[in-house]
Amino acid sequence: MKPPGWAQLVLWAVAGEKEAEFVAGDLHEEFLLLWADRGRSAGSRWYVRQVLRSAATLLGLRFRSGEAAHLLAAALVAVAMPLLLLDRLWSFVYSHIPLKDGLERAPGFWAANLVCVCACAALCGSLAHSLPRAAGVALAAAAGAACALWCSTATAPILYAGLVILAAPASSMAVFVWRRPR
Amino acid sequence: MPKGEALGEFEYLVMLAVVRLGASAYGMRVRQEIGERTGRDVTIGAVYATLERLTEKGLLTASMSDPTPERGGRAKRSFALTGAGMEAANRARQELVNMLDGLRFPLAGRIQ
Repeated sequence: MKPPGWAQLVLWAVAGEKEAEFVAGDLHEEFLLLWADRGRSAGSRWYVRQVLRSAATLLGLRFRSGEAAHLLAAALVAVAMPLLLLDRLWSFVYSHIPLKDGLERAPGFWAANLVCVCACAALCGSLAHSLPRAAGVALAAAAGAACALWCSTATAPILYAGLVILAAPASSMAVFVWRRPR
Repeated sequence: MPKGEALGEFEYLVMLAVVRLGASAYGMRVRQEIGERTGRDVTIGAVYATLERLTEKGLLTASMSDPTPERGGRAKRSFALTGAGMEAANRARQELVNMLDGLRFPLAGRIQ
């Protein structure tokens, strides 16, 4: 007897690490009561409605506690900045070589970018010590990667863009799960 | 009383629910208590935001209990009024009583 998984994920992503466990526990307790009283679908509907209606308030609480500022810093410093630095490095190096200015990025360069962003996001994930923080870092990593792609001087291939936006949060969460104490 | 120390309406409701519930005052029970007594459909997020604010103001104190299976293995955070919280609740009640004094309910008259 479990609440809808996606709604639980939303709750972990929006609630700060200070509140997430208690809010999730309270909702789970009332969900079980509703399940026994009115059935599964009524319980699930109630759970989803509570999560969605509470999302903005819980997110506001997370911002107020300063946790969101840490996540934003992680996204910008650890994910967006390395990507932008690599991009500027390519432009800088080839602008100094005659006839090479404006050269298209090589596939190897895109691959190096991808490895770099995965490593940086994984490092951020390894520093998260709770599921809400890890989920927040993953979300911030995806946003940071998207931000870097948007600010890039070259048009990135669609496949690369998709891979970066997905791989950044995935590697962050994977390392968190791997390092999490059992 | 400095500005910002006065209790808001919902804050007062939450504090009264905490007093009513005693030792079992935690998020879900506070939400249910307010819902049952006022008929309001309150979200758990609103309750936690208010409990957090009142704790920061020093009007409530929080304590944690061990995880239980009916909570999906999660801990519970219970709340109780502090001395300052009791003073604030008494003051808010007195203010309300003073304002209501001499008025007859239900209020009658034309709606402008």
